[in-house]
Amino acid sequence: MNFTLLDGSIVGVYLLVTMVAGVMVRKYVGKVEDFLVAGREMDLYLGIASLAATEFGIVTCMYTAQNGFTKGFAGAIPGVLTFLAMFLIGYTGFCIKPLRDSGVMTIPELFEKKFGPRIRWASGVVIVLGGLLNMGVFLRTGGDFLVNVSGMNPDYLELMMTALLVGVAVYTILGGMLSVLVTDFLQFIVMSAGLIIVTFLILDKVGWSTLVNTVETHYGEAGFNPLKNESMGWSYVIFNALLNTAAALTWQTQIARVLAAKDTATGRKVYTGTSFFFVARFLIPGIWGIAALAILTPEQIGGNSLLAMPKMLAMLVPAGLMGLLVASMLAADMSTDSSYMLTWGSVIYNDIMAPFRKGKWSEKKGLFWNRTIIAIIGVFLLIYGLWYKLEGDLWTYLGITGSIYLSSMSILLIACCYWKRANSWGAAAAIFFGASVPALTLILQKVGPYTEWFKTNDTVCGVATYVIVALAMVIGSLMKPQAKA
Amino acid sequence: MIDGIMNMLQNHWFWGFLTIACLAWYSTITIYVSIKGAGDIRDMLRRLARAKSANDKKMS
Repeated sequence: MNFTLLDGSIVGVYLLVTMVAGVMVRKYVGKVEDFLVAGREMDLYLGIASLAATEFGIVTCMYTAQNGFTKGFAGAIPGVLTFLAMFLIGYTGFCIKPLRDSGVMTIPELFEKKFGPRIRWASGVVIVLGGLLNMGVFLRTGGDFLVNVSGMNPDYLELMMTALLVGVAVYTILGGMLSVLVTDFLQFIVMSAGLIIVTFLILDKVGWSTLVNTVETHYGEAGFNPLKNESMGWSYVIFNALLNTAAALTWQTQIARVLAAKDTATGRKVYTGTSFFFVARFLIPGIWGIAALAILTPEQIGGNSLLAMPKMLAMLVPAGLMGLLVASMLAADMSTDSSYMLTWGSVIYNDIMAPFRKGKWSEKKGLFWNRTIIAIIGVFLLIYGLWYKLEGDLWTYLGITGSIYLSSMSILLIACCYWKRANSWGAAAAIFFGASVPALTLILQKVGPYTEWFKTNDTVCGVATYVIVALAMVIGSLMKPQAKA
Repeated sequence: MIDGIMNMLQNHWFWGFLTIACLAWYSTITIYVSIKGAGDIRDMLRRLARAKSANDKKMS
């Protein structure tokens, strides 16, 4: 174990500085708009730092490293696809331009203008359900990483992650998006420093040639070409292209940066400016995963490829640098948690509670409710994500919870922005199929005569979900009688 | 290390180039965004303070 008093001090100083900065900006919050979208005053570089920090949590690092471990360099292909999606959406302004121009605070608010209040409410429910269930597993996975990398007693995992969540909740409740942006900025610096230094250390200690030879030995050409990899192939590439495009268009934490930007052009530049980070998001932990494959024995890995990377880091990273690594991973996790709590809370307040907000609420009352919602989300995360142990495959869980939301919301957004005939019937059908097809896939993977087929062709089912949802939107919209002029 | 990089670029140019580009870009952008982002925070808080004080005056 290389975690010494010096490392503990580095982590302590980082946590103190972040908390103080996060709490200090609370005095600038005067209105609900300040709390939810930072008064729409976010500029380009702060937006890039915030988006990059939010979209990289410990759970991301764990799964992308696992991709490197089990698929070689080819495992980083989702990162390349996300880069392309983010860059093209930012460059063209596809959907995000009309969204930001409309002046809304959430995506469902835009849907109300086209599809009516019921679709706004239903969209809010789907977004919150998918998002919070997805986020529910972050804490425990983060704790597993920290325990393995620092050699800490696993008995303290729950206590440590509870304290961390309480700290994050305090500054998010007090300062909303302003605290999120300022702490994200600090977390981006610490996280990036840790990621870069540790990667150079791995390249120095393990060596480029060893990494390449390891992938060649274990996977051959399939470790470099996703189309030649049996566990990937065309359906994997197409599904990931659709998934990542849908996430770039509608994932609440990403779109919140466009909505908080000081104008539409800045929002678009935040996307193009951050786009290449998504390659690093997969490739850097992917290299860590390949390094774990190169230097660990099967006995050391112990049958769980998810924990191979933290075990490798515990062996390789020296005291002093270990503090920076733990601080950087805490930074990654805290920025993700704060942003997720705030942005999903904003949908609960703005859209799900919309029918219950009779009359105009005062700013004070609005702020009170937003803060209460974040506190409730924090309690939910503690109970669901930390104290409740999830059974089964985590990756399938993340995929299903994400698909429930992404397929329908992306199709609704595209139709809302660019198809005049789109209406509430089509939107309702898209939401229904977007939620039911992934759920049905999950059921058919467990019961019935074709369980094996559904298990091995999960990405084909994923692609089919997007096609079915798009058809539902078109057919549903065409079926609704048009109002007479 | 240089031999390893050259070897990767020759045999697997796509991933070799992407890894180098990634590390170079990320190292550079971190420093650049750190400097420019601090200025963004300062300007953002200044604008918000001005707006809040104008709003408080209007209310009183």
